[in-house]
Amino acid sequence: MKLLKLAVTAIAFLAPWVAATQDRPAASSQAIVITGGKLLTVSHGTIENGVLVIADGKIAGVGAAGSVKVPKGAQVIDAKGMTVYPGLIDPETNFGLTEISADDETNDLEERSDEIMPHMHVADAFHAETDLIPVARLNGITNAVVAPASGDTIAGQDLFIQLYGNRQQMMLGNDVALAMNYGAEQRRRGGRGEGGKSKYPSTRMGLITELRQTILDTQAYVAKRDAAAKKPDAEFKRDLKYEALIPYLKGERPVVIGVYESYDVETIMKLADEFHLKVILNHVTHSQEVLDEIAKYKVPVIIGSIYDAPRANERYDAVFSLPAELAKRGVKIAISSADAGGPVSSHSSRNLPYAAGMAAAYGLPYDDALKAITLNVAEMFGFGDKLGSLDAGKMANVVIANGDPLDVRTDVKRVFIQGVDVPLVTRQTKLRDEYK
Amino acid sequence: MGSCKLPSHSFVRLFAVALLPLAPCAMTASGQQGASEDIVFKGATVMTVSHGTIEHGAVWIHAGKIAGVGETVPAPQGATVVEATGMWLTPGIIDPHSHSALDGDVNEATSPVTPSMHMIDAFDNRSADLYRALAGGVTTELLLHGSANMIGGQAVVIKNKFGLDRDAMLFKGAPGSIKFASGENPKRVYGSRDQLPSTRMGNFEVMRMAFEDARHYMAEWDAYDAKIKKGEKDVVAPKRDLKLEALADVLRGKLYVQIHCYRADEFLTEEAIAKEYGYKIRAFHHALEMYKVAPEIAADGTAIATFADWWGYKDEARDAIPWNAVMSMRKGVRVALKSDSDDHIRRLNSEAGKMVHYGGATEDEAIKMVTLNPAWIIGVEDRVGSIDVGKDADIVLWNHDPLSNYARAMKVYIDGELFFDASTTGWGTTHFTGVMHDGGDFGSEDQEDGQ
Repeated sequence: MKLLKLAVTAIAFLAPWVAATQDRPAASSQAIVITGGKLLTVSHGTIENGVLVIADGKIAGVGAAGSVKVPKGAQVIDAKGMTVYPGLIDPETNFGLTEISADDETNDLEERSDEIMPHMHVADAFHAETDLIPVARLNGITNAVVAPASGDTIAGQDLFIQLYGNRQQMMLGNDVALAMNYGAEQRRRGGRGEGGKSKYPSTRMGLITELRQTILDTQAYVAKRDAAAKKPDAEFKRDLKYEALIPYLKGERPVVIGVYESYDVETIMKLADEFHLKVILNHVTHSQEVLDEIAKYKVPVIIGSIYDAPRANERYDAVFSLPAELAKRGVKIAISSADAGGPVSSHSSRNLPYAAGMAAAYGLPYDDALKAITLNVAEMFGFGDKLGSLDAGKMANVVIANGDPLDVRTDVKRVFIQGVDVPLVTRQTKLRDEYK
Repeated sequence: MGSCKLPSHSFVRLFAVALLPLAPCAMTASGQQGASEDIVFKGATVMTVSHGTIEHGAVWIHAGKIAGVGETVPAPQGATVVEATGMWLTPGIIDPHSHSALDGDVNEATSPVTPSMHMIDAFDNRSADLYRALAGGVTTELLLHGSANMIGGQAVVIKNKFGLDRDAMLFKGAPGSIKFASGENPKRVYGSRDQLPSTRMGNFEVMRMAFEDARHYMAEWDAYDAKIKKGEKDVVAPKRDLKLEALADVLRGKLYVQIHCYRADEFLTEEAIAKEYGYKIRAFHHALEMYKVAPEIAADGTAIATFADWWGYKDEARDAIPWNAVMSMRKGVRVALKSDSDDHIRRLNSEAGKMVHYGGATEDEAIKMVTLNPAWIIGVEDRVGSIDVGKDADIVLWNHDPLSNYARAMKVYIDGELFFDASTTGWGTTHFTGVMHDGGDFGSEDQEDGQ
């Protein structure tokens, strides 16, 4: 009955928007109060029978029933028997860069003309109307990092989005991180990849040397540019590639390094240390031998895919238990929805909470698992004060579900993004309803 | 082979003697040395699949078969007792669509019609794929040819007795299956070489042409047999042709037809061609648009082996919706979930759990999609897929509700013998020694597509 009531309320509330074609609902000026639910705050524990107030697109109050001031005239949502938690954040997706994986016309995943492409901005290609975003949203994903694919050593700069609004509203942060990769996959020019053309760099030695030279060239460029700035009449031609790298060499923004094998982690981290890069390690699914060293780097780690294959003679759960093993060593972790085998498939971003659940099944404490797909991701990408937990003052990205968010059996009932009660409609729900 | 060892308990001896004429020396005959004759699992939540769930149930296995199931079982006193309170017990998970342990030899993509290929010839019983599937509770797999060809090769059915030799891993007595395909993969593989087929029209005509060849071949043999029967002398036998023999076996109904097929219109065309040539389709695989035509296909008795929630990886997967399985089931189609992936095969149980979420399947309905229904697709539903007396003792003990992604397979038994035990160090395998071979590609997007 409660569910039904909730559904009826939802329909009543949604109806005006559904009728208005193309117009996206904006945040209601009316405050919203979610009562009776179990609040998973992420930042300060679980509150049974909690109250959460949303006003002006932000969380205005969180606490136990009776402890939170509720504005007059607020719309009340009864969430008794439900779980309420912050919107999930996927730390690696290709949202808006792909539609049908096998159809290259729909892909803008990476610029393959060169390995060193820091001046590629994901924000330039982001296709906000993609079908993939509403599908993920339906399972409570409210924010994501959009990254290029992983074929280049420096693939471009990531975009941080929210999964609702018009294009400008969705793009919360352009160029939030530099996407780097190192290992076997990037050696494609050495006759290993398409066309069989042999061209530098074709080995790991080549990849590292090229990276080091690029950084040195950028430093030389900065020196030349600074010198030119002192002579007002001097003509100086900007180089977009080097310009793009400057904030990352200054350590102002993070560099996400995708790397799988333990020996590759050690090599690339030496380079990162040499140039004082602000590193977020990504993948590390074949690095079980160097977990203690990874902990010593004091850098955050994105684990993905948790479904990557262990090596042939490793125990079956060598990767499933990786988040737990890293967390145990004090490493700040995030978990991504990446599919097994390397390439990201954002079609399965909706399965992000289940990857965290898998980590919990293999030893990661539950609270850490939830944090790995909410607050930790927000903090890694510079949104820790705005997203990732149920705290007053943060953006009201809030999900209501009928059970444990990390369990595959749980159904998401309602998703708020910046206070907007987002219609749970996708191309897929329309097909479902058409053929019912 | 040693002699039959009978349990000492008089009741069981009586019981075993009664069984003897039916299954003489079942244990030794299948090479299961050291397996206890009688094992009793006590206290588990028993998901029988066929007749509901028993809280605090018991299951008795004798000589590799299920001998009793219920709140209590009349097991002999000498039986090995496995205390399973707080655990869940299910039949072994069954994957009706795998390309594991074939070292990439999935497609003989040199002709769109290759029915005389046998997947057993590529089967690598030391592949790590099998180990990881076993650790996910998978006890039976249908290893299929890929989907590059309209008419591919013949499947092999294995029991995942990892560590035993090749022959001991075959599912004895399982019927034969043959893989067909349709849609984008054949037309792309051959179209990219400027060969027939390069369109869906071409795809289906290639099939009809093959069956015309087979009919002609059968007629030649029928004529020959008739002459021999009449006692004619100096009759020359037609040439035995492995390809046409295999196609004739399809027309004779000797092979289960398993078709890779995505789109609603193609299910209908495939059924029409099957009727035209007089064979039955056992199952459509992938079948992502079945929700659009489920009543029509249900009437033909064809099952589906589908994904829980894959979509968008290719154009013919564009209209995939995660409610497909449950919607199709509600409209009368027999629905199984399958992996088509060396990754997802490790967690088919929680793929089934998604059906509780997408469409509101009951737990009984969901678990059936990865046990009894795939058993039917393979044609071994009288042997495996549920906890019923007389069935093979393929059993998984889980530490959590198996439909949750928190569940881990803790112990896996096949034919009453323990093959995986997560509580042990190392791999957790009980039989495997030596070096595992690398598994196949670990991608998860229609990896069988023949590129």
